[in-house]
Parts: sequence; structure tokens; C-alpha cells
Amino acid sequence: MQRRDFVKAMMAATVATKAAMGQQTAPPVKQKLPPAAPKAPGPVPWSRGLMEVKPLPMTPLTPDAVAQTDAHFFSGVQMATLRRLGEIFMPPAKGHPGATEAGAPEFLDFLIGASPADRQHMYLSGLDRLEAEARQKFSVSFSAASAAQADQLIRPWLRAWMSEHPPTEEYTLFINIVHSDFRTATINSQAWADAARARGEQAPDIDLYWYPVDPDLRREGSPSANPRRS
Amino acid sequence: MAEEKVDVIIIGSGHSGGMAAKVLTEKGISCLMLNAGPIADVHKDTEVKAAYTLPYRNFKKPGQLAHVFQSDEFNANTWVDEQEVPYTYDQQKPYNWVRVRLFGGRSLFWSRQSFRLSDYEFKAKSHDGYGDDWPISLADLGPFYARVEAIFRVSGHADGLPQYPDGNFVVDDSPWTGCMTRFRDAGKKLGVPVCKARSAMGVDGLASSVNLLLPDAFATGKLRAVPNVVVRELSLDKNTGLVNEVHFVDRLSRREMSVKARVVILAAGTLESTRLLLNSKIANSSGVLGHYLIDQVYGPGISCSIPEARDGKATPGLVGGSGLVPRFRNIETKHPKFLRGYALNVFSNTGGMDPRNFATYGEDLQKKLDSCHGSGFSTGMMGEVLARYENHVRIDPNVVDAWDIPALHIETKYTDNEYDMARDAVETSIALAEGAGFEVLAKNYDPNPPGYSIHELGTCRMGDDPKTSVLNKWNQSHDIKNLLVVDGASFVSGGWQNPTMTILALAMRAADHLGDEMRKGNV
Repeated sequence: MQRRDFVKAMMAATVATKAAMGQQTAPPVKQKLPPAAPKAPGPVPWSRGLMEVKPLPMTPLTPDAVAQTDAHFFSGVQMATLRRLGEIFMPPAKGHPGATEAGAPEFLDFLIGASPADRQHMYLSGLDRLEAEARQKFSVSFSAASAAQADQLIRPWLRAWMSEHPPTEEYTLFINIVHSDFRTATINSQAWADAARARGEQAPDIDLYWYPVDPDLRREGSPSANPRRS
Repeated sequence: MAEEKVDVIIIGSGHSGGMAAKVLTEKGISCLMLNAGPIADVHKDTEVKAAYTLPYRNFKKPGQLAHVFQSDEFNANTWVDEQEVPYTYDQQKPYNWVRVRLFGGRSLFWSRQSFRLSDYEFKAKSHDGYGDDWPISLADLGPFYARVEAIFRVSGHADGLPQYPDGNFVVDDSPWTGCMTRFRDAGKKLGVPVCKARSAMGVDGLASSVNLLLPDAFATGKLRAVPNVVVRELSLDKNTGLVNEVHFVDRLSRREMSVKARVVILAAGTLESTRLLLNSKIANSSGVLGHYLIDQVYGPGISCSIPEARDGKATPGLVGGSGLVPRFRNIETKHPKFLRGYALNVFSNTGGMDPRNFATYGEDLQKKLDSCHGSGFSTGMMGEVLARYENHVRIDPNVVDAWDIPALHIETKYTDNEYDMARDAVETSIALAEGAGFEVLAKNYDPNPPGYSIHELGTCRMGDDPKTSVLNKWNQSHDIKNLLVVDGASFVSGGWQNPTMTILALAMRAADHLGDEMRKGNV
């Protein structure tokens, strides 16, 4: 179903549920708090005036609008390989930025650096193998490979596949996943959104984002199952 | 003020809990609903955003919700956190347990596909000799299906197929598009029916407990609800052996509390209800509690392009629309390689193509995407998984959740029946698509991990024999007559059909019967 329809429907449902549970559903009314007696040595209650403040006249920037991502995870050679892959897989086209302009290689460095070990291993071994094959076949680093040379190294591994079922062999998986990852990192970038806006288009992939609902602030962030506490 | 004893406690607020609450309160019976999670408020909890503004550009936070394939960065906060409520499984037998604890549960987000089970499911053993028949038939559940379909406003078309029972529909007489007609014609040549799908329209697009069931229950004044409480266990009266108390922990403060009840209804979702019974160590004289875990095979399918719709050349009415191929295998003939059957969801996609369907990149890929835009056509399988005793859940003695409640260990795997069925589903899809003149771009024979369908069923099955079942045909525990389980845990077999309509109908029927039994003083 369309997300907008879902929003309307959820708004109706939420109002119904909350009303039935005896909670107020009227929009919040600005209230002037009575002056509170200071609790500590200090002249003014710390929350004074917060209810009256007007929203700041600003559109918050995403960091990508003004800054670049510093790459920390991949080695220098691996990063150069990744950048060249990005140029090959996602060049600029039809007024849209390519992977390089979108900061996609650096973003993937950040993403993979935060990923589970198996994903990291796939990328690390994949990038190393690509570099090794470029040197063996063409006596150049992959970062210096021509488009034709890069195509010879990449194309045999490309597959047509469907969601949740990429190729299973690790190197084939790497080539296909890194392609897909570059597309996502590029299309969902600030640079792509800016280009779309300049063309009078909407940014891609707009949807309803859910904030944490009444989060349990004491959640313990163990990476896997919690051992039984004695 | 804490009461001495409530009439009925309902644990869970999704479709089954919501239906139980509606039926019982409309009969004048007071209910207290306990829900493990908070109430979602779309005004407060959501905002429309673009992916480029999200921290991970909609990649999802690495390592988060690894088993919820349906999750993305936009909806990640709606699913149960796997670190907060962990479960375990053998690494060789992965399982995707997908949960929502927001008030309303998974009824907030389901796909709306609405089908009745047929007697090919209710009386499957009588048909093919495998497994067990349900203790009820389509005739028993029919009146309840009809009432549920009216509440949920199910759109559909009467097709007169016994394996795809007709229902109480908002009639769908929409015309078939050109591509769907070609697909249907290809089906006719192969003896494969292609029908209109059936879908719950609900109200304002939502077909959930929170807008279709709970408001009616609250309106009676007989329902009260407590969010944010995680039920730890049930306890029994030592003298009567009846369940008499529910112990729970406040989700946020960790305060331990309890409430007494005359009747307890579990509607926490198949595996949470069974987990609660296993942790409580009750209702299992049969020894089958936790066993016969079923779900449905999803994942296999094909992705195609309609040549005549490429390069902007689609004629009016050629593309668009959807359909459903209901089970056609093992109805009148016996397939040599597998029992039971599957359905196919069929879609014509008028938007962009999936770039992963093309083994190319860069400028060449963009050319193909531009050319094929609006020409997409796909099929996806929904297949029956055989009920097997060895597919089961048990408590993991070494793992607890964030509230120290012992976690579930899930052990299940697909076998040749499921894999052979998947192969047939894909090959049939290819034959139909090529018969319709479509080009197959990509195909997948591999099922998604068990659990992906979010249709986990069984583990607390109903039956007439207390030695081989946990519940009777009224969803009532054989061992403890004031204990009911009204969610998907009661299923004997799963079929290919989205189980929601059946869960709702069973919950309605069980609550109806319970209300009468309570009035008579039998419970």
C-alpha cells in the first residue's frame, strides 16, 4: 500500500485507540508554566521559557552537505580499488552524480567498517582479489585499469538475481553486492538529492521514518544472545 | 486500585487478541488486555524523510535486525529488537523470527492478503494420508469467516474453486489488463487457474486490530488495557489446577507484578504464546507443546519484462494489475515429487525495474532500465510446509531476554518436499510467463529462511485427542479449561494461504464459545 495512505490510516487508528484508552487527543496547547520556586542555589528554574520559544528558522543540514567522510577502514590500496569500482559501476549520467561525486566509496568504507565480520571479510577479500587479478592480467593496479580492462575483470562475475538471493560463491557475491551497494549509496546521497532538486524532481526514496517508540533506555547492547544471568 | 480478580486476561493486542476482546466485551464480559509494547502514535513517532537524510542512507544499521528481511532504516524501530528479545537456533538451520510488540502487533503492518483455508487444508490427511486432519472443517469455520470478511471488507471475486473457497466479498469485478489476460490464457493452456487476489481493504487503508476490532471493544466499556508489560509466566491454583494468575514485569521499570484472573487467553503470536506456556511449564500433558512448527515457503519466483511495454510503447490497458494462482497441484492428480501445493502471487509493475535483475552495469544498465521501465512482471511463491513433529521450539536454558525471561530455541528446516515444490513453482512460473510472451530476466529457486513469511503456525496444535494435541477444537487447553490460545499456535497445518483470516475466524469462534461457557458457569 502507499505509505501516504498508511500514514492517514495510522493517524485514524492511533486517535481511535488513544481516545478509547481515555487519553487526550487534542493537539497540545501552549501553556504558561507558573513561576516555580528555585530548587537549588540559582535564580531561575532551568526549563523556564522553553514552552514559549518559536522554532528556529532553519533547515538542518545533513553533514554530507558540507563535509566529506574520512575513510578509516580500508587500506590505501583497497580504498583506491573501491573508488575505481565506484567510477566503473556508477558513473555520472543524465545530470546525476556518480559514485565519486556522491562520496559513495567513503560512505561504504564507513558502512563496512561498522558491519559484521562476514560482510567485512567479503569486501576485504574481494577488493584484494580484484587488485591481484588486475596486476596479474594487465600489470596495473586496478585503480589504474582502463574501463575495458576493468570490464574484463568484472563482467564474468555479474549475475541477474532477485532480492534476498544474491549469488552464493563469495567472490561472485562480492562483485554483485558491491555493485548494488554502490547504487544505493549513490542514489541515496545528498549530491543525488541536490541534482534531483535542481531538475525540479523529488529526492529518491522518500518514506515514513519511525523514531524509537517509547524506547527502553536501559537496553543492553550485546551483539548476540544474552547469556542467562545467575 | 489493584483488583482481586479480573474476569478475562488477554495477552496480546494483535488480530487474535483484538478479536477475542471484541467478542467477549460485546457479550458483556470484562477483559483486561496486556501488551508487551507501547502504543504507537504516528503523529509523534514518525516523520516523512528522504533516505539521504538517514544515518545509513537506508542501508539499515549494520548488524541490526539481521533476521528481519522486511526491515529497512525507515521502519527499523517498529520491529522487536533481536538483542532485547533474543532467540537461538542451530547455525545450520537458520530461522527468521519477525515480531512487533507495538500495540496492535503485526496487525499494523500485514500484507492484507485474505484467504480462507479449504478442506484440502482442514482435512489434508483424509486427502493425501500425511499428517493430521484438523478437528474442524471449512463448514465449521465458514460462518465465522463470513463475519470476519465483512469486518475487514475483503475484496474478491467468486471463482468456484474448492481449493480457493469463495467468501463474503466486496466484489472485485475490475477488468483484467492485457498482460494479465495473456498470463491467464497461458494458464488455461496448462490447466493452471489465474484468479483475482483477495485483500482486506479495512477502513482508510488500515485493516488492523487497532482500527477494526479494539475500538468496538473499548466502546463497550468492558475492556481495559495495559501497554508496556511483558508477561513472564502463568501460575495455577494448586487446588483446582486452573490457571489463576499472570505474572508480568513492567517493560521500562522492571517492576514485577501480578494479576489474578478467572480466564486467561493467550494471543501473543504463535511462538510467544508457546514460549509463555513452556516457561510456565503447564498445559503439556500431550508432550507436543512446541512441536509441529509450520510456516510457508516464500522467496522462489521470477522477474520478467513484457516486450511490448518497453520504450514507452505500452498500449492503454496493457500493463498493471495483479492476480493469484491458487494451489492447483495435488488436487485431482498426484504430483510425483511433493505433497500439498503452493500459490503464486502475480504482479504487473508499472514503475521502475530492479537493477539486480540485469547482469550489467553503468551506461548499459541505465539503458536497459530506461527501456524496460513500466514493463515489469513478477511471480512469487507461497507454499505449504508440511507439519513435522521434529520441527519444534523449546526453551534455551542458557539465554534470557532483557527481562530475564528464558528465550526460545527454534529448530526447524525445510526438506525435499519444500525444495521440490519450490522448483515446480518456479518452472511453472517460467512456463506461464513464456507462454504469455514475456522475457524472464531473473529467477530464484531458493526458499527464504523458514520464518521469513511471518506466518509461523502450530506448536500448540488443536485436536480431538488430548494425547496428541494441546488444545481442543475451541482453542481451549485440554489440560486447563480456563486457558485458551487463540493465535496461530493452534493450527494443525498451514496451507499456502495467508493465515490472518483463519486466525481471526478461530479467535472469534473460540471467544464466542468461551463467552457461552462462562455464562453457563462451565468455565
